[in-house]
Amino acid sequence: MSATPTLTERAGALFHRYANPGRFLRLGVKLQPWLTWPALILSVTGLVWGLFFSPADWQQGDSVRIMYVHVPCAWLASSGYFALAVCSVLSLVWRHPLADLAAMEIGPVGACVTATCLATGSLWGKPMWGTWWVWDARLTSVLVLFFLYLGHIALIRAFDDQQRGYRAAAILALAGAVDLPIIKFSVQWWNTLHQPDSITLRGAPTMSHAMLWPLLVCTLGFTLGFAAIVVARLRAGVMESRIRSLLSSPRRGMQSSSGSAVGEYAA
Amino acid sequence: MKRKTRRLWLVIACVGALGTAAGLTLTAFSSNIQLFMTPSQVAAKPPPADRTVRLGGMVVAGSVKRDHKGDTPINRFDVTDGQSAVTVSFEGILPDLFREGQSVVAVGSMAPDGGFTASEVLAKHDETYMPKEVAEALQKSGKWDPKFGPPPDAASWNTMTQKEASATVQGK
Amino acid sequence: MTHLPYIVASYGLAIGLATFLSVGAAVRLRRDRVRLATLEAARGGDRRSAREETV
Repeated sequence: MSATPTLTERAGALFHRYANPGRFLRLGVKLQPWLTWPALILSVTGLVWGLFFSPADWQQGDSVRIMYVHVPCAWLASSGYFALAVCSVLSLVWRHPLADLAAMEIGPVGACVTATCLATGSLWGKPMWGTWWVWDARLTSVLVLFFLYLGHIALIRAFDDQQRGYRAAAILALAGAVDLPIIKFSVQWWNTLHQPDSITLRGAPTMSHAMLWPLLVCTLGFTLGFAAIVVARLRAGVMESRIRSLLSSPRRGMQSSSGSAVGEYAA
Repeated sequence: MKRKTRRLWLVIACVGALGTAAGLTLTAFSSNIQLFMTPSQVAAKPPPADRTVRLGGMVVAGSVKRDHKGDTPINRFDVTDGQSAVTVSFEGILPDLFREGQSVVAVGSMAPDGGFTASEVLAKHDETYMPKEVAEALQKSGKWDPKFGPPPDAASWNTMTQKEASATVQGK
Repeated sequence: MTHLPYIVASYGLAIGLATFLSVGAAVRLRRDRVRLATLEAARGGDRRSAREETV
């Protein structure tokens, strides 16, 4: 039981330093090009490498190239949801205003990535396995993740009182985080059609380095791209909440009586 | 600030309880979550002929017999998990990844003769990703025969370039 | 290439979705920046946060 009140307090102060929307906007402007351009360069490099310069697999032939899109999306689907869960803890415990806005923006991006993961998996499964879809533990748990994203997107926008929407969506996101270890370990715990992980912490990756490198470049590129899009959306989200508080507050944008913590800019 | 600490512990407790509940549920339903049965499970407790089951295992080397009935190919092959084997018959086109030594999942039911009649055969891919040249080199050098199981330890081949692999193949 | 349609569909899907999300975010960012600047100029307040969004 190390979490004494002072520790929670200190942690809260640390998070709140970055909760200040004005400070976030300044940070976001500086950060954006460092995310956007490397993301673009790495993704294009990785995809071209994977599509034209990496070898064909001895069994799968050229269909292995779908992996360079599918696997990064699958990893991002899970890590994006993890980010959502972290935002939810910050929101529920510390009432972190920026975490609420971040959760709102991560949701749709994560859902898109998960949809891509499922669709590309299907496009690989048809020629390789011989089926578009099976209800095995891995595929089903990722489908559940997709519905969790959709539920989060709907719930966070479902209430007239925005704060209640944030709370409800945060609880859903946190409860849904149970799905993450299920996705990760599904291929070990149960018989699945889906293959086990090739890249593990223990042991050498069971993938030729000629295929591993383009995969890693794609993964880094896609991850930075995810971050770039979320940061851009979050900057817009912060400005929108500022606009809302300006419009709802009395003239000169003085103390907003609406109680929206985000709209207030501490000096 | 006491309230924040209380909220933190509340969240931790809820996540813990939910995780435990999910874990218990999954353990309870574990056998239903399995996509397929293994040949030894089928041998130990044959499912009734009217029940559709999925049978999963490795295609036994040398057991594949291909035939034709008109235009439809008829395939017979044995599926094993190392302990027992079941003969599967399947009318239709097998997926690309199907080969001897490959893991497959056959969907169908038990035939009266103790064999298995499949309505669908899915090829399972393993976690190895290997260029064609490297696979050939490993086979040429006698380190691996794909018909008899998975490739050797990944560290022994995953840094092999296609050039090195081609040289090995031609050198022999 | 074997199974070319499947490969092209996968890459097309990923690139299409990435473009859609990026363009969407960029358009939204630009629109909000303009709206916030107009609004704050109209209010004439001393706390101009749109200034923080200068690029």
